Amino acid sequence: MSANNTSNNVVIVEQIKSLIYKTCLNQDDLNWGDWLDSCDDGFEYAIRSYSPEISADMTYLSGNREHMRSLVDMLPKHNSDHSPLKRHCTVYDVQVAEDGRSATATTSLAVYQTLLDGINSHVDAGSSHLFLVGRYNDRFSISDGQVKFAEREVRLLNRRLDKGSHYPI
Amino acid sequence: MSSRNHAQWTAPPKLSKGEWVDSRIYTDQAIFEEELDKIWKKSWIPVCHESELKNAYDFRTVTVAREPVIVVRGKDMKVRSFLNVCPHRGNMIERRPSGSFREGSPSGTPRHMTCMFHAWQFDMKGRCTYISRQEEGYQDRLKKEDVGLRELRTEVYFGGFVWVNLDDNNPMTVEDWAAGSLDCLRSSLDEEPLEIFHYHKAIIPCNYKLWHDTNCEFYHDFLHYHNRITGFNDAYFARKNSGFNNGHINVGSFEVQYDKYQGFHSRETLSFPHLPPNHWYMVDMFPGVNFNLRGSALRCDLMTPLGPDKVLIEFRGLGLASDTPEERQTRVQHHNSIWGPFGRNLHEDLLAVTAQGACMHPAAENRHILHARHENETIHDENGMRHYYEEWGRWLDRSPSNPDHAFEAYQIPDPASEGQRASA
Ligand code: FES
Ligand SMILES: [Fe+2]
Repeated sequence: MSANNTSNNVVIVEQIKSLIYKTCLNQDDLNWGDWLDSCDDGFEYAIRSYSPEISADMTYLSGNREHMRSLVDMLPKHNSDHSPLKRHCTVYDVQVAEDGRSATATTSLAVYQTLLDGINSHVDAGSSHLFLVGRYNDRFSISDGQVKFAEREVRLLNRRLDKGSHYPI
Repeated sequence: MSSRNHAQWTAPPKLSKGEWVDSRIYTDQAIFEEELDKIWKKSWIPVCHESELKNAYDFRTVTVAREPVIVVRGKDMKVRSFLNVCPHRGNMIERRPSGSFREGSPSGTPRHMTCMFHAWQFDMKGRCTYISRQEEGYQDRLKKEDVGLRELRTEVYFGGFVWVNLDDNNPMTVEDWAAGSLDCLRSSLDEEPLEIFHYHKAIIPCNYKLWHDTNCEFYHDFLHYHNRITGFNDAYFARKNSGFNNGHINVGSFEVQYDKYQGFHSRETLSFPHLPPNHWYMVDMFPGVNFNLRGSALRCDLMTPLGPDKVLIEFRGLGLASDTPEERQTRVQHHNSIWGPFGRNLHEDLLAVTAQGACMHPAAENRHILHARHENETIHDENGMRHYYEEWGRWLDRSPSNPDHAFEAYQIPDPASEGQRASA
């Protein structure tokens, strides 16, 4: 049950939308720290996709907040495709729980990649293409009027991911 | 120590035959077509896993050497495969990647494969069971018995993989074909049923053999921070790289120190049966298949060559069918943290072969690709690739280092073991 129409919840809904949008900007700019600071201690992250090939729901990446932090901290030690990603999203639905202490949101997502060093940069760098299509299914904790990510599921439609990526989505 | 001019750059390397290949084998359209005909249409290919077709009437569609193939499980639970091509006007019979024939389709009845075009139907044994308006159109000139599907040799073998061979005349079973290369993993994979938990694919602008080469050589662990930090010790450098008949190789095991990578942990508790904790075996099968068991998760790569400079790679991850949900979740995380599309290693491997592909445009000047490391057939020896190309040369009757010339068997001197003998 939700009670989105109380005036307090209208404020919460706006805060949630703004957090989702700001997180896209932070992640686009590789500000992983700002994103993880907006997650609560029990945060869980997962990228999932359903495969009609094997008729199974799959997890492509998962971890808690500390796991995600160490994963992004280690990036400079790894060889990566540094082609920047741009997340374009629209928050379609926010539901605040009756007790006002948690909320969920459903957000439509498209991620574009602008090639930098992934193939032959002389030929390909600067061209953009659609990289991923899916949704964010988010859960939030709310305490003292402050909203934090409790869980993020990136639900992709893609099963063809070509070179993939070292970046969380 | 100096850079080289064009003549020096294009001169054959001062190495033995077999220690290098001509990059044309990765770029030439005619060679590519020959590979499909002479190699891919004659080899056993593990096109999927039996857990992808659990129930009677389940199916899976794939492609082998440009031929559409359908794998189905019959009412008798036997897995069979057929060309996914209608004998009437050559339509693709089933378009979905997987599904069940238990339900009817818009043009057909339940428990049949139906070609939607003119509604011909086939049973799970490939027999034609229905031709629409048969007598009106064919009188008694063409009967259902004349238009069965083309059945392909099929075996379920090695932990439940479904192997298909387009060649009716090759007398080898999959076991003969594997020639012992799978033995190091058989007890781990055959002890109890496996189940697929991961699938994703990549289409990469490079030749399929470049991906296979990368799976065959571990010298490129310099590419992977994860493997350097969790590997590179005496036991790692002692891992044996062994060749088997038919061009297959395997790489022996050692104990990976997963906890040396920040945020990673030992995989001990979920080891596959009979596998020592945190051990890691790899099998690379000719012409483009890889089985890779890292302690708790099995990976299988299948290549489908699409052109001299284009390959489809399918990545599968498997665990034990008996896993509890918690065990499965951990196994999946172990798999994905390294081998998933967002994992540490797979992305790096795919970046490297993409960059090789970018240097080997089909019309680019040919180059010499070196496979010349000798380290007593241990992990950074390049004997795996040499073994593969010797087989490749034999199948195509082309010399890998000079593909316009017929293949000649050659003895490659082994300086590492000669050095060892001299110092012994
Ligand atoms: S092409 Fe299949 S029924 Fe005609
Ligand atoms: Fe690798």
